[in-house]
Formats: sequence, structure tokens, C-alpha cells
Amino acid sequence: MDEIKEAILAFAEKSKKSKFYFNDIQKAVQKVIPDAKARPIKKAATALINEEKLIYFSTGSSTMYGLKGRGQTEDH
Amino acid sequence: MAFEPNEEQKVLKYDELRIYSDEELNNYTDEELKEFKCKHDIPDMDELEKGPWPSFVADCKREALHRRNLADDRMMIDRDVVEDMLGQLQVSFDEGETHWKHGGIVGVFGYGGGVIGRYSDLQERFPSIAHFHTMRINQPASKFYSSDYLRCVCDLWEYRGSGLMNLHGSTGDIICIGTFTEQLEPIFYELGHVLQQDLGGSGSNLRTPACCIGKARCEWSCIDTQAMCYELTHYYQDELHRPAFPYKFKFKFDGCPNGCVASIARSDMSFIGTWKDDIRIDQEAVQAYIGGEFAPNAGAHAGKDWGKFDIEKEVVNLCPTNCMWMEDGKLMIDNKECTRCMHCINTMPRALKPGVETGVSILFGAKAPILDGAQMSLLTIPFMKCEPPYDNIKEVVEKIWEWWPEEGKNRERLGELIQRQGVAKLLKVLGIPPMPQMVTEPRSNPYIFWKEEDVPGGWDRDINDYRSRHAI
Repeated sequence: MDEIKEAILAFAEKSKKSKFYFNDIQKAVQKVIPDAKARPIKKAATALINEEKLIYFSTGSSTMYGLKGRGQTEDH
Repeated sequence: MAFEPNEEQKVLKYDELRIYSDEELNNYTDEELKEFKCKHDIPDMDELEKGPWPSFVADCKREALHRRNLADDRMMIDRDVVEDMLGQLQVSFDEGETHWKHGGIVGVFGYGGGVIGRYSDLQERFPSIAHFHTMRINQPASKFYSSDYLRCVCDLWEYRGSGLMNLHGSTGDIICIGTFTEQLEPIFYELGHVLQQDLGGSGSNLRTPACCIGKARCEWSCIDTQAMCYELTHYYQDELHRPAFPYKFKFKFDGCPNGCVASIARSDMSFIGTWKDDIRIDQEAVQAYIGGEFAPNAGAHAGKDWGKFDIEKEVVNLCPTNCMWMEDGKLMIDNKECTRCMHCINTMPRALKPGVETGVSILFGAKAPILDGAQMSLLTIPFMKCEPPYDNIKEVVEKIWEWWPEEGKNRERLGELIQRQGVAKLLKVLGIPPMPQMVTEPRSNPYIFWKEEDVPGGWDRDINDYRSRHAI
């Protein structure tokens, strides 16, 4: 779990974009940890949300993840 | 194991939970309403109110007047919220463009759905709608609620939101429109801890599952839609609240092929109650319909004289598969040809009933997009047993959720993935054989390229040896 969380944060910090789809996170994690499955990656992303290191960004129809403090930092 | 709640469900009593007194709820007269003038000039809104149909503008004016007459400390957001909303809408009519900004990072802690951020881009002019977030409340199964429950939700939204609601959204949620960011957590707390009510789905997750009235009131329901909807809603809480899908995913449950929640047109995974055995026929009741003792369609079309009921014309000849006929005065059905259109059962409900060996048909891939036109779901599993705790159905759901999130593109619905990769791939994922009914047209390509594993015994061929004799 910790290894996956680190991989997610590393991807989020390096990414040129401030918001990314879960698929992008999954692909980035699997590059570093090839046998990581979607379910543990989701659990790690949820843990990072709860630790307030990641944020959800929702348009209403689709949802993206972002690094807290990067890009859109206020509530609008 | 089926879901069991940690605490018993309370019976909500409005008198114990109410926020507003009767005087506060009925705080204006018809005369005051007639005289009401919005603080903004809204000629086009006034125009919308005219005409024969009920208008949301009329409702908004009532709510605006109601808020004007409430005391300052009886509303947690600005009293002018409704009037500002109408004012901004008038500006949008004048300029032909929206002034809403959709989306954002607002939500309640730990949830990725249920709140849809919205802001005005004319905040100086309309400060009361600077924030105008929507909250989706997961509706009770079949939208069964008591007036006590509804009044509690309305009071809460009046106190902490705009008071404007939409019952119900397309997915079935109770939609509460217009509140400020700082009110989201208090509303969520009240909903969860006092009203025992959860938020619904939004964004790239499982949307609030919806079901028809089911066995609660409908004699045709072949499955307990409410039980199934409740179980899957609880079992898949993580998918409902923590989005990790490529796009939205909808379950809908219809108790019979009449499809009162239109699952076949509106859900990625449609569950439709059906039967495996024969339609039950009461020949005496058939004769009573022919003799005019029973009104067809349970009297639903009794407002006009349609003449004497003609079973040949109104039932037998309308069967889409011609699987019915009259023989020696008796109604006969070739059940293996029945496609569950429900017409005969709907027309003569006292004579015909669905069979008793009931279960569910599962269809995949419907969506109702704005641009491309609707896509209906594909009947893939014609019959499956459907009993709590629905482990066989969860197994199917999870096969789909292994495939679609892995191979679906961002913002690609299941139906689009099926179109892109083909029905054959869907069947492979599910591990089920194809049916002739799944073929829409004959092959346009006459060649079949067999794979070695498809041919009993396989074959041995050295491609290099072959190429040494057959230059490209």
C-alpha cells in the first residue's frame, strides 16, 4: 500500500497536468509496480484522499484526481 | 451474505424533527403572491410563467416570497438566492449564454460524488448565488417515502440551502439545487446521522441504483426489485462514493418487461424480471373479457367508447411473434416463441399472468447521450436466478468491472466499449456462448479465421517452412 501511495504521489508531482483520470494513475503506478492491480491502487488513492494529499475534482459527469494545493487550490 | 444495517432504521417523525413552524411554512397570502415583484427585472421569466403548463418560475416566485417573509436567523444562506437565480437566468436569456461555471473540488469528506459544484460568473451582481452547488440524495427504493420524511428533507434544504429541489433527477435522486460550500458538511451530517439518508452518485462512479415499484405494489413483478436495489446499493458503496471508473455506470431494476424505470434504455447494466415457464392462463377470465364482463387494460382506456372487446384484433393479432391463437374458444400460446412484450398480459390482467419460475434477464450497454442518440442495452443473459444475497449477479457485475475499467477509455461508457471491441469480446469476458438473436445481420466478410484453440486437436504448422515454399 505505502509503495503504491508513493508511486501515485510521485506521478502526481511530476505530471504536467494538475488533474488526471484514475486510468492515468493506474497506468503510472503499473509502470513502477507492474503487478499492482486496480483495486489496491484505488484503495491507495482513497487513502491519499482521506489523508488530504489528493483531492477529487468533479465536473458532475466525470471525476478526476488532483494533488492538493496544485492547480485549483480554492473551492472555485 | 446480504447487507444488514448496523442500526435499526428509525421512523422519522416530522413533529420531532421539524425546523419550521406551520406559521413560518405558510407565511404569505395569495394576494401577496399576486403582487410579488422579483427584485430583478425578469420579463422573459414572467413570459415563461404564462401558458397552460405549470411553470418552475411560478414555483420559484412562491419560494422567493416565502424566503422574504422568513426571519433572518431562519436561513443559513442568503434570502435572495432564488431571486438572484431568476435574475441571472434573465441575463442568460438576454445574452444567449450561460453564466454558470460547473464543477470543482467541492464535496463532503471522503466522498467523490453526490455534490456537484456550481458557481455564478456574475458574483458581484448576484452575490446570493456565488455558490450554487447541487446535492444528490439517494432516493429510497422505488421512491417510497412518507410525507414526514419528505418534510424533514424539505425543512433541512430550506434552512441550509435555497429551498429549490427537483424530485426526481433522471437517475432518481432527490436533487437539492443551490447551496454554499460551508453548508455541505452540516447537511451531510444531518442527512446521515438524523435522517439516516445517504448521498447519491455523481461523476465517474456507480450512480444511484434505481428500481420500479416491484413486488411492493405490482402483481407482475417477477423479482423483488427493492430488495435487489437495496442490496447492491449497500454492497457496492465503495463504487458509489469513491470514483475510479472511466465514466458513469448505472444499474436499474425493472420487475417485469413493462420496464417502468426504462432500464433497457437508461442503464449500463439493466436487470429485467422475467419468467422461464409458461404464461398462466385463466380460460374463464378470457371468456369474461370476450363477453365484456371485464374491461380490457383494467379499464385504463374506459374514457372513450372503443366498441366491443375483440380478442383477435386487440390481442391475438397484435402479438409480435404470432405465438397466440384461439382454438375451440380457448386462448392458446406457444410460449417458446414469446418475447415478453407484455401486451397480452397488460390487456387482460385477470386472465393472463407471468409464469411462476421467475428470475432476471441481464442486458448491457444502454445510454442516453445528448449528441449521438440513444443506445438500447443488449440482451446478453436471458435468464438468471435472482435471490438474496444475489451472489450469482454480483459475480457478473464484477466480471464487467474487471474489463471495462481496464480497457475502457476515459469517458467511454460500457455500451461504447462493447461497440468498439465487439459483442464477441463481451461474451468472452462473461464466459457465455453467443445466441443467434445477438446477430443483427449476416456477416459481410465471408472468411472465418480460426484460432488453433478453436479447432479440436489444433494443428501443427511451421510458418518458416511454409514461407520457404510460398514467397510473399
